[in-house]
Amino acid sequence: MKKRNRMKTVLSVLLVAAIFVAAFLLLTRLLEPKYATSLTEGSMINQYYEEAGGHEVIFVGDCEVYANFSPMELYRQAGITAYVRGTPQQLIWQSYYILEETFTYETPKVVVLNVNAMRYSEPVSEAYNRLTIDNMRWSASKVGIIQASMTEEETFLSYVFPILRYHSRFDELTGEDFTYLFQNLYSTYNGYQMHKEVNPVESLPTKRALSNYQFGDICYEYLDRIRELCEEHGTSLVLIKAPSVYPYWYDEYDEQMEAYAEEYGLNFYNFLDVTDEIGIDYSTDTYDSGLHLNLSGATKLSTYFADILSREYGLTDYRNDPEVSAVYEEKLAVYDAAAAE
Amino acid sequence: MTIQVLILLAGLLIYAGYGIYGLGWLAAAVLVTYLAGLALPKHKWLLWPVIVVNAVLLITIKLQPVTGFGILAPFGVSYFTLQMISYLADVRKEKYPPERSLLTFALYLTYFPHLVMGPIESFDHMKQALAERKITWDGISSGAVRAIWGAFKMYAVSARAGVVVGTISTSPEEYRGAYALFAMLLYSIELYADFSGCMDIVLGISKMLGIRMSENFNTPYFSQTVAEFWRRWHITLGDWLRNYIYIPLGGSRRGKVRKVVNLIVTFLVSGLWHGVHYILWGVFNGILVATGNLLKTKYRVLNCAITYLLISILWSFFIWPDSLTALRSIASLFTTFNYGDLVANIFSLGLNAGEWIAFVISLLLLFIYDLKKESLTERFDQFAPAVRVVVFGTLTLLVLVFGMYGIGFEAEQFIYASF
Repeated sequence: MKKRNRMKTVLSVLLVAAIFVAAFLLLTRLLEPKYATSLTEGSMINQYYEEAGGHEVIFVGDCEVYANFSPMELYRQAGITAYVRGTPQQLIWQSYYILEETFTYETPKVVVLNVNAMRYSEPVSEAYNRLTIDNMRWSASKVGIIQASMTEEETFLSYVFPILRYHSRFDELTGEDFTYLFQNLYSTYNGYQMHKEVNPVESLPTKRALSNYQFGDICYEYLDRIRELCEEHGTSLVLIKAPSVYPYWYDEYDEQMEAYAEEYGLNFYNFLDVTDEIGIDYSTDTYDSGLHLNLSGATKLSTYFADILSREYGLTDYRNDPEVSAVYEEKLAVYDAAAAE
Repeated sequence: MTIQVLILLAGLLIYAGYGIYGLGWLAAAVLVTYLAGLALPKHKWLLWPVIVVNAVLLITIKLQPVTGFGILAPFGVSYFTLQMISYLADVRKEKYPPERSLLTFALYLTYFPHLVMGPIESFDHMKQALAERKITWDGISSGAVRAIWGAFKMYAVSARAGVVVGTISTSPEEYRGAYALFAMLLYSIELYADFSGCMDIVLGISKMLGIRMSENFNTPYFSQTVAEFWRRWHITLGDWLRNYIYIPLGGSRRGKVRKVVNLIVTFLVSGLWHGVHYILWGVFNGILVATGNLLKTKYRVLNCAITYLLISILWSFFIWPDSLTALRSIASLFTTFNYGDLVANIFSLGLNAGEWIAFVISLLLLFIYDLKKESLTERFDQFAPAVRVVVFGTLTLLVLVFGMYGIGFEAEQFIYASF
């Protein structure tokens, strides 16, 4: 009898504890930003998990990849299957860990790395870290990316238990938090964020002289790791610099990247040098005065790059593959409909 | 024995986190006091040199802002020095024999939950608590609930009050009159919720370990007079001051004038213990304790309000960075009547509407708990284990969601850890 009572007590305690764990998880989910209709860049990282696999080209980098390269146009032009794993202000070590994670889902033939992140040798902002890391699935790569990215004010624990970070949103909750409590809303097309607005380049910030143009050791260390990771998987690494006309990229940077590419036999494409050839018109092809391209600009750039990729890296033209083309035709229809809206 | 060794090692390890220098000081304090205690029965003269050396060290640390003569103060020195002195004085008075076990004695001074903020335990009580240590489900569950309740007080109540107090206190010229009064009233809440919350955590953890420690607070803001307040606030420090300062000075045994003088001296020592900046605060408190009954009315609620107001005004010395600014802020209560201004600007003091609501609700919970403390504790003891888990879980979720912590909020250290 006594033993039965004790068992009953233990079971009731365990049941109540389980209910509280569930309540804790529910509260955490409620308080986390949903990145559904605002700040949608925060859901880019987890959209990939629903579409992972079967991509011959993977892009990694910051906004210069997810705003400027459209996988749909790559497919339309050359039948390339690509995905952009870009996130806002993605730092070079974040690109590494995202790539490391990507290789656990698929092995692309080509990895395209936008080298803009070489400019940053230390964590920049907690808010950007969150947009990149929060929605990553747990893995060794996520542990690595957190440890590499944390600013001084951040704690690892707050990534494990996001409620520690977002608890103060209790008075900022909106309808979006309840609508997307148990579902996600994604807004990219294979990682491409579509912007149709036109905001021409009118004036650009003055180009500032820097005291030091040398990329940091840590950036080279992670660039090496990215290169080695690609080599291990038999994947070609392509270095690019997207054509953002804001004066944040210097000749000295270019020289360093060219030297690196030459040393390791890689291709480095600085699209800033070929904007005329691509046909970019900064009075019609940018949505934010030259910092990023709009749909029109991204279409031109992607079309141009599609030719390079298929020519240089022997990629498959999946337009001739009935199974893949069926999927992509469906995607293209959605993409074109959004573009036409 | 094994658990005692583990507790000791945990304490030393945690303390080492504050620096090896402090650990060295603490180890020396343990050894010197332990050996002096053993020698005292045969060499009674040893009491004074050891006490004087410790008192001089402590006073030097406290006077540092004025003298500029620097000694790096180890964390919690104010607390463990008082415990050292009380131990030696008690052994000298033969209240109990000197402790022979170095482990037990070291545990007395270094027991980590109370090392940096008290309670200031007497050795005989601590030894008994260690000897009677017993880990039980009741102890674990009620200790855990008490600890999480302490966290709620600190993070949901104290931290929010602290934001407003911080906003006002950083601009004393801008925030005068009603703002200054608001800061004083809120600081009372901030300090109480922080310090008593910390004590709840210390006593809660101790209870989980089966160690029963002394209470440090007994709902002090329900006191009828300032004298009663000081019997219910930081009780173990009050006991220490009474036993080792007030009574040796003669207490109330040498006439009314001498009693007043003794009270003022005792509070002056209390002020000095907090720091040189608080000497005036100590003296004012001594005067109010000696004369406080004059303000007592026949209305209990009014008495509580008067006591709360007086104590809050005196906390000014803790709010503003120097005594002159504190006195100016007090004076502004009688010269600047900007209450409408305060109401109009209430949301510009660091908390938005949602946070004010969270603060008021949390404060109400604290008020109700303090009002019904005994019956609630009694009722909790009768709860089935599953219901206890419900209480613990609910409080944990409340702290997690409504606590003020993390990025965007500069968490203060425990306020009393700096004394």
